[in-house]
Amino acid sequence: MAEKDFDVQAFARDINELLVLSTLRDGPKHGYQIGLDVETDSNGLFRFRHGTLYPILHRLEEEGLIGGSWSKAGGRRRKVYGLTAAGERHLSGEASRVEEIVSRLMGLLRKPGRAPA
Amino acid sequence: MSTPKERVFAPVLREVESGMALPLPDRTRILRELEYDLEELWSRFVDEGIPAEEARRRALDALVPDARSMTELDRLHAPLYRRLTNSFPSGRLRSMERASLGLAVAAVLGVQTATLLRVDLLRDPSPFLWPVLVGGACLLAMVLAKAFQLWIKGDHDQPTRGLGAILVAAGIVLALGFGGTTFDTFRLAGVLEQAPELAEALVPLWLFRSATLLSVAILLALGGGLAWFILSQWVAHVRRAHREVLGLDRPARPKGKHEHV
Repeated sequence: MAEKDFDVQAFARDINELLVLSTLRDGPKHGYQIGLDVETDSNGLFRFRHGTLYPILHRLEEEGLIGGSWSKAGGRRRKVYGLTAAGERHLSGEASRVEEIVSRLMGLLRKPGRAPA
Repeated sequence: MSTPKERVFAPVLREVESGMALPLPDRTRILRELEYDLEELWSRFVDEGIPAEEARRRALDALVPDARSMTELDRLHAPLYRRLTNSFPSGRLRSMERASLGLAVAAVLGVQTATLLRVDLLRDPSPFLWPVLVGGACLLAMVLAKAFQLWIKGDHDQPTRGLGAILVAAGIVLALGFGGTTFDTFRLAGVLEQAPELAEALVPLWLFRSATLLSVAILLALGGGLAWFILSQWVAHVRRAHREVLGLDRPARPKGKHEHV
């Protein structure tokens, strides 16, 4: 892993993006279904509230990691998102990075205390 | 699945929309996506046995973007031009835009004149040709300014403003062409009344002048009219979609299982 300043806020944003990407591995979904699936798959640990999902979806779409397309359902237009090949690559690369960060963090938290001098 | 009969989320969408500073098509797309998700989530809650009003509250709480999300959406969907010029002071930017427009108009006027010179149409032209060319350049400036505002700058606060002026300017150019030709004809008639022997020399010249003046005026006016038509149709199209998603124009909804919230 590249040694650079660790930005907790950026990491939290990355986690949200990875959650969205990972739920799209099952197939294309529309906005609120993505949010519900993330919540269900994580047993309620991760929830998107107050519309925080939309900036994430639109940012991922702009970066080409997911693709949005409009379709008609019941006479109404809806936007469906699907994972792109770039998104799949990004997901696998970032999953390894997150794994390493968490592993380092756990190593730090579980480190036995030094004996007082 | 239950579906709300009316656009029950339209007032919420209008409120969300009021905080957006984006081009109309982007606003419409965001609101349409939000509306679909709100209705679907609301229906899902209702089908799970949650009272309609509580289902509505929960759907709004989950999906309606808060101020921070709105700011992020605005940033993500801002037109490229706005992103590039974000750091410029607004007064300086406006001056630069006006200077660019002035240069474009001067360039067009130069190209127009050069073209007419190349095909030898400026040899002894009608005095009305110059106002027609200047009018045409002004018309083009108005079209360029409007197209720039709508399609590059993405400033859609008053999308119809200035459209009527384009049509009026095209009409003025056309009127100058026809008026000039009429005036030239009366002038020629006056000269020939006093000296009929000049007819052989003056009539071909008059024909040449009038044909040039009329064809240039008609071409410029037609171009302006076509630009007005394209711009106004585009604005009408995006406004219709925008009003529809805000529930200001009620679209035909497919019949199905409906329920009031």
